[in-house]
Amino acid sequence: MNENNPIPPQIPPSDSTQNFTANIPNSPPPPPRSGPRPLGDDPAERIAIPHTFAAIEALLRQPRRLLFQLRQPGAGKLIVSMLFTVLICSAIYGVVAGTFSGGTQLWIAPVKIAAGLFISAAICLPSLYIFTCLSGSQARLIEVVGLLAGLLMLMTILLIGFAPVAWIFSQSTQSLAWMGTLHLIFWFVATLFGVRFMKSGFNYADAKSHAGLNTWIIIFLLVALQMTTALRPIIGKADPVLPTEKQFFLSHWIECISISNDKAKTNARD
Amino acid sequence: MQASAAKLKPCPSEIATLLRGETKAISAWSENWNALRFAWHVIIIILGAGSYGAAMGWWRDPQQSFYVALKFPLIILLTTFGNALLNAMLAPLLGLNIPFRQSFSAVVMSNTVTATILGAFSPLIFFMVWNAPEMSAKVVSYTAYNFILLTHVAVIALAGTMGNLRLLQLLTQLAHGPAIARRVLCAWLAGNLFLGSQLSWILRPFIGAPSLPVQFLRPDSFHGNFYETVFNTVRHLF
Repeated sequence: MNENNPIPPQIPPSDSTQNFTANIPNSPPPPPRSGPRPLGDDPAERIAIPHTFAAIEALLRQPRRLLFQLRQPGAGKLIVSMLFTVLICSAIYGVVAGTFSGGTQLWIAPVKIAAGLFISAAICLPSLYIFTCLSGSQARLIEVVGLLAGLLMLMTILLIGFAPVAWIFSQSTQSLAWMGTLHLIFWFVATLFGVRFMKSGFNYADAKSHAGLNTWIIIFLLVALQMTTALRPIIGKADPVLPTEKQFFLSHWIECISISNDKAKTNARD
Repeated sequence: MQASAAKLKPCPSEIATLLRGETKAISAWSENWNALRFAWHVIIIILGAGSYGAAMGWWRDPQQSFYVALKFPLIILLTTFGNALLNAMLAPLLGLNIPFRQSFSAVVMSNTVTATILGAFSPLIFFMVWNAPEMSAKVVSYTAYNFILLTHVAVIALAGTMGNLRLLQLLTQLAHGPAIARRVLCAWLAGNLFLGSQLSWILRPFIGAPSLPVQFLRPDSFHGNFYETVFNTVRHLF
């Protein structure tokens, strides 16, 4: 069920299997298996994913089932439902992020987070397809879109898991730099799991090398980080809604941290 | 055998099974959700952690004792509920394919063990506090304060360690191996400690300071966070 996880659950052979093999005299040893087990060899993986909740369940518990279904004709419908989940989950997390400032940020933050994710994905999709082809993978464009949708979906549903913690901190701190760091940590952890899912998907697409995919992951991370600056402020008060000055994300962070430190020093003097 | 153990109605003596870490029975309980058993575990958490909290706050004032009796179980329950979804997502992603209810009940049972140990130590803490010099703004014995503080740290550390040890045994049984169990436990612990520390920070005071009034929450409870304060303290030191 969980074989495409890099470290699958360790399931010991059942007694019945041991007895079965023991009763066959001179049974030949099983042929050596090379590469990952083909998708769909387990009948459970062939069961269609009927709705969004089943897609979430499959992504968490039966990722091979989702990967198999993404290769079937009519996978477009599944991808649309996955992207719909991304939209809802990112909007919910956006509302939680918006509670730090409250007011108009309650709707601006979800719009910006959802838009940022979709724009980042759209910007990075062509390069992902190119890197996939260069690595010798046989994956079709729709499969690549499906894997990218899987990355985003796993990322955003994990963010929903982090949402209660983020909310507690949003209510109990005034430091913008601190909240920004916390959201970035949550986003990074969620992205790690998402990327792991996507890489496991490419393992079944006959890719000869992972170098291109690893390069693309770095590009995607940089684009997403820059998007947080391009659409700023996301957690702070938005006035104006979008920035008038262009900035690199690292210089924006340094600026935020120094403003936060100055505020802390002023409060300490008071 | 597992099925028969799961069918058993929850009873107070089950707590001994939890404390002994009888993984077969505990594993069966976690697989077969029982609302009555869950309610019983929550009651144990409220009573155990509540009585320990009462003992902890008693030194400052009986009113403080009442407040901490409410706050101590609240921290455990809020952390458990707050991280329930995240823990349920992390388990299958780290290789342990268990449903939401099972991961939730595993964490609740671990906290039940912790709360039971805390509850068992509460008479000892009451006795220690009764023997300690009175805590007042005029007379403050720092030796007594530090001794009581360190005792609390030791008891809570013991209870927490035992709770997590039992959780690790259960996870090892469910995962059929120690590697995945350790990974899942580390991920759950990281999340629970992260949220738990902040909730403890918000819900302070616990022992209470002699120079400050008895309050359920400090007026600045929602100003700043635990990690920010630790970071600023370290920065001021250097």
